[in-house]
Amino acid sequence: MLTVKDVTLRFGGLTAVNNVSLTIKQGTINGLIGPNGAGKTTFFNLISGVYTPNEGEIVFDGVKLNGKKCFEINHIGMSRTYQVINLFRKMTVVENVMVGLHPKMKSGYFSAILGTKSQREEEKEVLEKALDWLDFVGLRGNAYEMSGSLSYGKQRLLEIVRALASNPKLLLLDEPAAGMNSKEKEELFDILRKIQNLGVTILMIEHDMKLMMGITDYIFVLNYGKKLAEGTPVQIQNNPEVIAAYLGED
Amino acid sequence: MKLKSVSKILLAILLLLVPLLLRNFNYGILICGFIGIYIIAISGLDLVFGYCGQISMGHAAFFAIGAYGSALLHKYLHLPILFTMVIAAVIATLIGALLAYPASKLVFHFLSLATVAFGEIVYQLVAQSPGGITGNFTGFYTDSINLLGFKINTNARFYYFALICVCIFLLMKHRLVKSKEGRAFLAIRENSHAADGMGIDVKRYKVIAFATSAFYTAFAGSMYAHYVRFISPETFSNRQSVMFLTMLLFGGTASLSGPIMGAAAVLLLNEGLRFAERYQMLIYGFMLLVVILLMPGGIYGIIKKQIDKRRVVS
Repeated sequence: MLTVKDVTLRFGGLTAVNNVSLTIKQGTINGLIGPNGAGKTTFFNLISGVYTPNEGEIVFDGVKLNGKKCFEINHIGMSRTYQVINLFRKMTVVENVMVGLHPKMKSGYFSAILGTKSQREEEKEVLEKALDWLDFVGLRGNAYEMSGSLSYGKQRLLEIVRALASNPKLLLLDEPAAGMNSKEKEELFDILRKIQNLGVTILMIEHDMKLMMGITDYIFVLNYGKKLAEGTPVQIQNNPEVIAAYLGED
Repeated sequence: MKLKSVSKILLAILLLLVPLLLRNFNYGILICGFIGIYIIAISGLDLVFGYCGQISMGHAAFFAIGAYGSALLHKYLHLPILFTMVIAAVIATLIGALLAYPASKLVFHFLSLATVAFGEIVYQLVAQSPGGITGNFTGFYTDSINLLGFKINTNARFYYFALICVCIFLLMKHRLVKSKEGRAFLAIRENSHAADGMGIDVKRYKVIAFATSAFYTAFAGSMYAHYVRFISPETFSNRQSVMFLTMLLFGGTASLSGPIMGAAAVLLLNEGLRFAERYQMLIYGFMLLVVILLMPGGIYGIIKKQIDKRRVVS
């Protein structure tokens, strides 16, 4: 469903992503790992439209993504979370999810000003949907709190559900478990399975190897902007090159 | 809940009785009319600044486009005045959209510079107009609003007209900010990268916010022109833009009632300090400092804090 072919991204003289190719299959949970500074988040920014590759092409669901803007890529069916939490802090929890539902809403500017019946009904529906999504991750009890006042782990979950609200085909998660305690990580594990059961394909960056090895079907390893290896978790764990990259051997 | 609706009805009755209560104090009614005009003007500014997080230091330009647009259309094309007010506001909306389209790329401080420049351009245009159609620095006289033969030519009549306009504009604002458009504005203010990632066309919504706010402020400008019945460039200098921002910040941003309280407080203060008119800018500057340093949420912020506190206690 996502095919990345020979993609390169340069910032001036620095090559951040170097000739990377990979294919992601429908319905799978995929991991993207690598040492710090390997270009993982840059790679996410590349496929989600923050950057445009200098070379190569990215094809998602039959559509070429090169040069498309973030919001357009979201409309095609790819949604994401961020390494640094990027919530709308001074909006309530449920409003955050309603923003996630924004691309699905039909009524326009004038129907809002006139307060037409269809617009009001749509607002109601969207509110209901957003509350259902909060149920999905167990945040319904926090629906009317300011999102900035949630605990760190809950903020991570809210980011995930905000991204999920637009019913994406592919969900990109950038370190979803960062800052979570072990109980929260277990909850996250279950939620990721539930997301997979919805038919959503996942590509995630994560440093927690236990979580990563336990949940992913397939793992890609980046090092210095290049793809070092790919394979099932077991294959990756036994790959000498990967071990060397992580332990810093020659 | 009941207490709330009772107090709402009492407030409505009080607002309706203002001209009667102040019948021996015509000047007071005059000021109330101005408060209405400013509520509309800065409610518009609030949409772009308070909700969408984009600054405008040149909103006096839209005030001017509304005032001059309506007065000129009436003078040269002899169109009925309420009609000219709407046309002028629509023209300002288009100009606002045209300005916001390239300006939406700019970040905060550069946007403020661009809007200062825009304000200056419009000021120069009305002060030294082609063919002198605006009367340049001398200004020119116009008529009062005429609603199918009913002239709004007394302070009390204008007060009711302004009251109706304020209600309409605030209702529109209320609906807009509670819709998907309003959420998009807030999302852009809070985090434009995340808004982009969530499928919001950031540029489009910045343009919408700016254009809508131009409509509000321009309509208020046209109300001003036909209330005072005389306009000159002096009213539309960057001083006016600073006053708009002072009122908005003083009252509190991103709310319906903030602009109401801000407009009332600053205008009443202005009247109280008439003897110190020379120091007006100094006073605004001081007020802005006080707001930014001591009460970042404005009057609205302080009241809201008190209410929230009480809720937590009870």
